[in-house]
Amino acid sequence: MSTTSKSGNEKRSVAASLGVLLLALTMILPFLWMLSTSLMGELEVYQFPPRFLPSTFRWSNFTEALTLQPFGRFFLNTAIVAAASVAGQLLFCSMAAYAFARLRFRGRDALFRAYLATMMIPAMVTLIPAFLLIVRFGWMNTYWALFTPMISSVWGIFLLRQFFQTIPKDLEDAARIDGASEVAIFWRIILPLSRPALATLGIFAFMGSWKDFLWPLIVTNRTDMRTVEVGIANFSSMYQTDWPHQMAAAVVVMLPIVLVFFFAQRYFVRGITTTGMKG
Amino acid sequence: MTRFAAFLLCFAALSLVRGQERVTLRLVDWASLEEMPIDERTVAAFEAKYPWINVLYEPNPGRQYEEKILTGLAAGEPPDVFLLDSKLIPTFTNKRVLLDLAPFIGPLGIDTAQWYPNVLGIARKGSALFAFPKGFTPLMVYYNRSLFRSAGVPEPRPDWTWDDLLATAKALTRDDDGDGTPEQYGTAFTNYYFYWIPWVWSAGSDVVSPDGTRATGFLNSPATEAALAFPIALRRTEHVAPDVGSWIQAEKTGTNYALFANGKIAMIVDGHWRLPKFIRFIQEGTLDVGVAPFPRSPGGSKVNVMYESGWCVPVNAPHPKEAALLAAFMSGEEACRIRSSGRLEIPSVRSVAEESVGSDPTGLERVFLDEVPFCRQPWGSVIERFSEIEWTLQDAVDEVMVNNAPMHETMTRYARRVDNELAEIRKAGSTEFTPLKERSEILTFLWIALGAVTTVSAVIYARSKRGGQGGLALGFLAPSMLHLVVFTATPILFAAYLSTHRWDMVVPDQPFVGLQNFREMFTDPSFWNALGNTFIFSLHVPVGMLVALGVALVLHTRLRGLGFLRALYFLPSVSSFVAIALVWMWIYHPSFGAANLFLSIVGLPKLEWLNSSQTAMLSLMLFSVWLGLGYQMVIFLAGLQGIPGELYDAARIDGAGKFARFRSVTFPLLKPTTFFILVTSLISSFQVFTTVYVMTAGGPVGSTDVIVYHIYKAAWEQLRMGYASAVSWVLFLIIMLATWLQFKTVGSDVDYQ
Repeated sequence: MSTTSKSGNEKRSVAASLGVLLLALTMILPFLWMLSTSLMGELEVYQFPPRFLPSTFRWSNFTEALTLQPFGRFFLNTAIVAAASVAGQLLFCSMAAYAFARLRFRGRDALFRAYLATMMIPAMVTLIPAFLLIVRFGWMNTYWALFTPMISSVWGIFLLRQFFQTIPKDLEDAARIDGASEVAIFWRIILPLSRPALATLGIFAFMGSWKDFLWPLIVTNRTDMRTVEVGIANFSSMYQTDWPHQMAAAVVVMLPIVLVFFFAQRYFVRGITTTGMKG
Repeated sequence: MTRFAAFLLCFAALSLVRGQERVTLRLVDWASLEEMPIDERTVAAFEAKYPWINVLYEPNPGRQYEEKILTGLAAGEPPDVFLLDSKLIPTFTNKRVLLDLAPFIGPLGIDTAQWYPNVLGIARKGSALFAFPKGFTPLMVYYNRSLFRSAGVPEPRPDWTWDDLLATAKALTRDDDGDGTPEQYGTAFTNYYFYWIPWVWSAGSDVVSPDGTRATGFLNSPATEAALAFPIALRRTEHVAPDVGSWIQAEKTGTNYALFANGKIAMIVDGHWRLPKFIRFIQEGTLDVGVAPFPRSPGGSKVNVMYESGWCVPVNAPHPKEAALLAAFMSGEEACRIRSSGRLEIPSVRSVAEESVGSDPTGLERVFLDEVPFCRQPWGSVIERFSEIEWTLQDAVDEVMVNNAPMHETMTRYARRVDNELAEIRKAGSTEFTPLKERSEILTFLWIALGAVTTVSAVIYARSKRGGQGGLALGFLAPSMLHLVVFTATPILFAAYLSTHRWDMVVPDQPFVGLQNFREMFTDPSFWNALGNTFIFSLHVPVGMLVALGVALVLHTRLRGLGFLRALYFLPSVSSFVAIALVWMWIYHPSFGAANLFLSIVGLPKLEWLNSSQTAMLSLMLFSVWLGLGYQMVIFLAGLQGIPGELYDAARIDGAGKFARFRSVTFPLLKPTTFFILVTSLISSFQVFTTVYVMTAGGPVGSTDVIVYHIYKAAWEQLRMGYASAVSWVLFLIIMLATWLQFKTVGSDVDYQ
């Protein structure tokens, strides 16, 4: 390979990196705006031309936003739902995905397509009947109503099945020859090899239940059973919206997901280094 | 009905005998966070007065209040007392959802003379009364006194006219730097029917005939067109009002209010609900606000609109007498007095309203009260489902104001559309309902779904006897299958059943209508418009995926150490959607937004973004690419990291260059990931809803109406759950077909080795 083409390559990859950095900037600007709004006074919000920094940093917006409503309780409720949802989806989705990716049985593909088909009905239509069921079960205002719809997802099954399919079969075949059961192969080989995918699913399951709005609103009547996203929405009433407090609450509610993302990110990296496939 | 009457009798007899049976009632309203403590105090006063009644107060401050009430009614478990906007009263009474409160007035000793008669009249139908009024408001002109003073403009007189308003607005519009874009505007105008109907009325005209059956000859009459031309001209030709976008943008971002509060607009038209905040500003000395009545038309009479809400009781309330007692108390003198401290509305009780004028140091309350005799009942509280017509009327104004369509042709076209819609509503409304008929039991559908899945499992199990791992697979699949049966299959079956039935949600009746829902769908031009828009919208998916793949490759190979960059790209996915959509509505603002700022910096012409039928969809697509980038990139990254490193090493040993390595290793091994992202992103783009709901509400003029938004409107605004289910089934089939095509063309399953 000649040196000129090499430096051309270098240039191109520097340009690519720069492009990615610039694009990242457009990702963060709206959030800086959100953050700055959360620190503004009521009349300062949306000045024209817009102000990028508050005249004085009103940190009290944050304490007010979190005490105007029982946000501690909202966080607790949401954390319970999110934990159940992550645990449920990691277990149930990976089990189903294993069956679809690795087990041989007749009707497998047809069944998988039937699973997929259920993703295609818009949530707007399943909302009412699912709610009717919750009422019949007597689960209104309970954690059961909040988390049971979240503990499995076809999206997650689809995700994991796609990943399981990329795992080389020789490892399991070797284990099978050693007499390992399918359950053991699933638990000891497939799952450890799928950490990046599991981390991905975990993040999305956490996020899904953390950001869910319409369902928790509909299956709860009492303030003490509500979740953080409902709390944020409550700052918009019929006639006006309290933007500084709403933005402050939105920023605080975002933090746990960002933390979870950072935490799970390590697993992405560890996922590649410890898959055992190098050995 | 007889069952209900018997129930009522039994109850009355029982309460005579036992008298003080302890009763618990649920009370629901849309109180904002500031309003909640006031209502809690009112409830406490009620409980103190009637110690045997326990009230569970359940406020729902957000904008999904109607959905909340409707789901409660759909499940047959509505609250015992709830607040209802007057625009829903005709729909609810026609469907016999509300209890007639008139029979309770005598026995409970309720004094109906305490209320303003025109306010009480809103919920009257013949001799029946379906709500006790809580409060109401006309539309008034708030003005910034300091701006008037510094411009030397006299404040509005109580009998001012449109011409006075225009002259005042001109005098208060200032373009100091002479660039053609004023720094300060005289007034503001948005397209929303709710705000502009008083202009039409005050010109002595109307949008529909007095009996509410047709719009032709009214919406396109010279007087109505002249009345509409006036406020539209404030923005389009006189330039005394800023281009604030559609109502949905102005309202959601609070543009009008914010511009007014910051002294950039001198006068705004708004309701009493702004008063508490303005009184606070006056007392803090931050803003000097005055209130003037709605200006009268030079030729027309003095008239204003009256927006009202009242306390209702559902027809199947288990404790009707106690519920009526609570509803009456919440509207009564004591409650109004407690509420009037918050100054959120004009109290419905006349004596309290007059007291509140006395206790108001700013004198603004007086101006409101002087307007009461001229207040007229809005069409929404007379014609069933008029809120749908309001959207159509808003589109008509948009056509003229945003798309520069000619006035008379546009109004004539829209008048015909409104005629059809009114006829449809009357036709649908004429169906007789049998109150309290048993609703179809959702558990039946659960049993059917369970039965079907058990059969499928049994077949798989039986087949596995002849080889295969069917039994084992069933074990692995059991939890997800059960979950699917309960939360997806049962609802889907129910939707399938509903698609051939009519269900208004608020009544148990579900008459069989055959394929009528499908016929209605295929002959409805707005369905086809929404379908076409959905296809156009989904085109953003491949574009977004290309960008996401590029970013993922760079992050994976070049910037591997920079974990925080990954987190940055993921930020849009983690944030509260409502908050981030709001920020983008500001970015897209034609006069003040960052998007146009950027365009002007790089020397490109400014765009109207969300404000024009030509660019609104494009704006939503751009936003969606931005929003979905993190999701797609994270999955691409996870896919890239699942590719064993030694394959690259092997390729490198074989002498493969960078591109060859991408083509021979990355691309094929990333295929399942790519396929996954494509399928899931396309499905969710076909199901796009929240973006449209929050940012454009389908506008301008239907240019961003998509299928799921069409479904939403059918279900929640028109209460046509059967129709909504039918559309969902069509969408379902379309997505199935699209997914099947993807499986056939790009998705042939990739197996390693």
